[in-house]
Amino acid sequence: MTGARHFLDLDDATRADIEELVARALDHKRGVPDGDRLLRGRMALGMFFEASTRTSLSFQTACVRLGGHWMDFNVGSSSFAKGESLEDTMRTIRAIGVDAIVVRHEESGFPHALARFFEGSMINAGDGRHAHPSQGILDAVTLVEEFGTLDGRHLVIAGDVRHSRVARSSGRAAWLLGAKVTLCGPPQLLPASAPGWGFAELATDLDALIPAADALMLLRIQKERDDGAELPPAYELATGYGLDERRMQALVPHAIVMHPGPVNRGIEIAAACVTHERSRIERQVRNGVFARMAILEACLAGHA
Amino acid sequence: MTTHGNRDFVGGRVIDPTQGIDAIRTIVVRNGVVAALRDDAPSSPDPSVERVDCVGMVLSPGFIDPHVHLREPGDPQKETLASGLAAAAAGGFTAVAAMPNTRPPCDNADAVGHLRAAAEDAGRVRCYPVGAVTVGLEGDAIAALREMAAAGAVAFSDDGSPTKSLKALYNAARLTADLPQPFLSHCDDHSFDGALMHDGAVADLLGIAGSPSIAEAATAARDLLVAQATGKTWHLCHVSARETLDVLRWARSRGVHATGEATPHHLQCSEELLRGFAARMRVNPPLRSERDVEALRESVRDGTITVFASDHAPHTEEEKGRPMAHARVGFSGLETAVAATFDALAGVPLDTMIANFSTNVAALLGVAGGSLKVGSPADITGLYLDRPWIVDVTKFRSKGRVTPFDGRTFAVRPALTVVGGVVVT
Repeated sequence: MTGARHFLDLDDATRADIEELVARALDHKRGVPDGDRLLRGRMALGMFFEASTRTSLSFQTACVRLGGHWMDFNVGSSSFAKGESLEDTMRTIRAIGVDAIVVRHEESGFPHALARFFEGSMINAGDGRHAHPSQGILDAVTLVEEFGTLDGRHLVIAGDVRHSRVARSSGRAAWLLGAKVTLCGPPQLLPASAPGWGFAELATDLDALIPAADALMLLRIQKERDDGAELPPAYELATGYGLDERRMQALVPHAIVMHPGPVNRGIEIAAACVTHERSRIERQVRNGVFARMAILEACLAGHA
Repeated sequence: MTTHGNRDFVGGRVIDPTQGIDAIRTIVVRNGVVAALRDDAPSSPDPSVERVDCVGMVLSPGFIDPHVHLREPGDPQKETLASGLAAAAAGGFTAVAAMPNTRPPCDNADAVGHLRAAAEDAGRVRCYPVGAVTVGLEGDAIAALREMAAAGAVAFSDDGSPTKSLKALYNAARLTADLPQPFLSHCDDHSFDGALMHDGAVADLLGIAGSPSIAEAATAARDLLVAQATGKTWHLCHVSARETLDVLRWARSRGVHATGEATPHHLQCSEELLRGFAARMRVNPPLRSERDVEALRESVRDGTITVFASDHAPHTEEEKGRPMAHARVGFSGLETAVAATFDALAGVPLDTMIANFSTNVAALLGVAGGSLKVGSPADITGLYLDRPWIVDVTKFRSKGRVTPFDGRTFAVRPALTVVGGVVVT
């Protein structure tokens, strides 16, 4: 990733790319000398077309900690989403002096379309169902912190896999680092054929998988990404692919539980499980800032 | 220079599937019709007759594209009759059938009449209107089909989408059961509206809502059941899925008068083209899997598919350059269709290729042409079979410049387009 101008997805990333970002995130977590000067004078613009609390705040915090400036673009008052003047808008934003755009959009591929017209760095903070690459890095950081190496480890991602950009990015990052990744959900919410997305195994029986999992990642049910004709009733997802006390007990002793948040308590994860000692949900959030510091640095530091 | 269609086309290899001819012949054209096919050049040149040297070319009955979108009226920034018909001539087509999804749509007799008149003013290539099945292409109320037929519509179609109401489609077919005009079906399913590409491995990877092959095949089955029930002649536009080919084979085995067409892009390209969010490569029906591409090629070899069509669908650069969900669908096809189709189907006999481009299309639409028999209109397509050229969209006559074939090298090159004895290229 060093020298990369954009950070759009992990679809073409290599193991070395992920390792480098994870290592740098862990550097930032320990503290980097003069780390607060790395992005001095640089300007990042948040364009969150889709509501976001944690990701937006996490990127903003990462930017400020590196000494950069952050602004938010008021997406509500622009006619931008119609796509009629993408090129002009991107040129204008660059001319004003913005170095990086951190964009989230409900459409898969939207940041990729913007990137074609933007001379600065385009950083994807989540596009539709497609990718959430900074989540992929922060989950990789969390897994590496836990296990050291991921070679031979088994990550199980359960729930509404098909609609999840987190599953695509976090699954790929873990797989690139050597983990076996299994996607588990009802058939219509899984990739159509194995290997899923080119790397993942597919399964429909979560209980059969649990004893073999080193890490279990639950996914939020993406109600906003479905027209109702695809998702089973919520209770069916909860009983089949949610985490409760019984499944928590069935995990091996060293196994951890992850969730990208925000959590639908009682649906994909029982309330008591959120703060269980196996849960790494809060650590994921903390690591998010360090992962995004590494990403912003890789995209911006050294680029005029 | 004569313009009244008295010409001798000399030295070409004439292939006419309707006469079983594959030989060097002189096509003698008088008053715009084929007067004779001679196996020698006329010995005493008539000064009033122009001699056109066709050495090195294959000469065949004029190619007819049964599926183009010429955007007039309504969208001159995308295409006009003049630019579209010029593109057809350049691409080797002597006639085209214009789909009705213009603005306003071609859904009444006046619109059919206007299109015919305007097309005659705009270019020499023949332009046959296709009338909408339903008013405004909205899929509910049946349009004035018989009046449109009387005004010159050669077929009926709600192309762009399937006719929404089965009831409307069924009754439209019953209403016109005694007319020769076929129905041309664009097969898709409205419950998958919002899908941006084929529901396959690439859509999975990109997190894009996809439309599965069964959306096309199920509607094809519906429409061919209407054909069976009404006895109408039916044609499946731009078949893309192998399941749809199965449906077509089934219907034919039951005696349904059904044909299907293949486009060059479905014969050449798969969903792989959309990797990296290449929104410019969006088209409907979507580019499907490699297996579907191979099945479509095979269906030409086994005779399931008997018609070729470009589905010429020009848009502006800006409209094609938008993000996935906003990019307009379709390619500029007229100027590459012949070359790209031949390229995809190496090994298919020449007379089959020519029949699929001309004879079978003329038969489907019930229009003149498709043959070089004496007395036929002198509509002729001349091709070089092995004169490699590189597709360069900046040289297109069409206003549409987006195609999956830009920069490709093709061996077959349209060389001569003759309409009514007049050279129009």
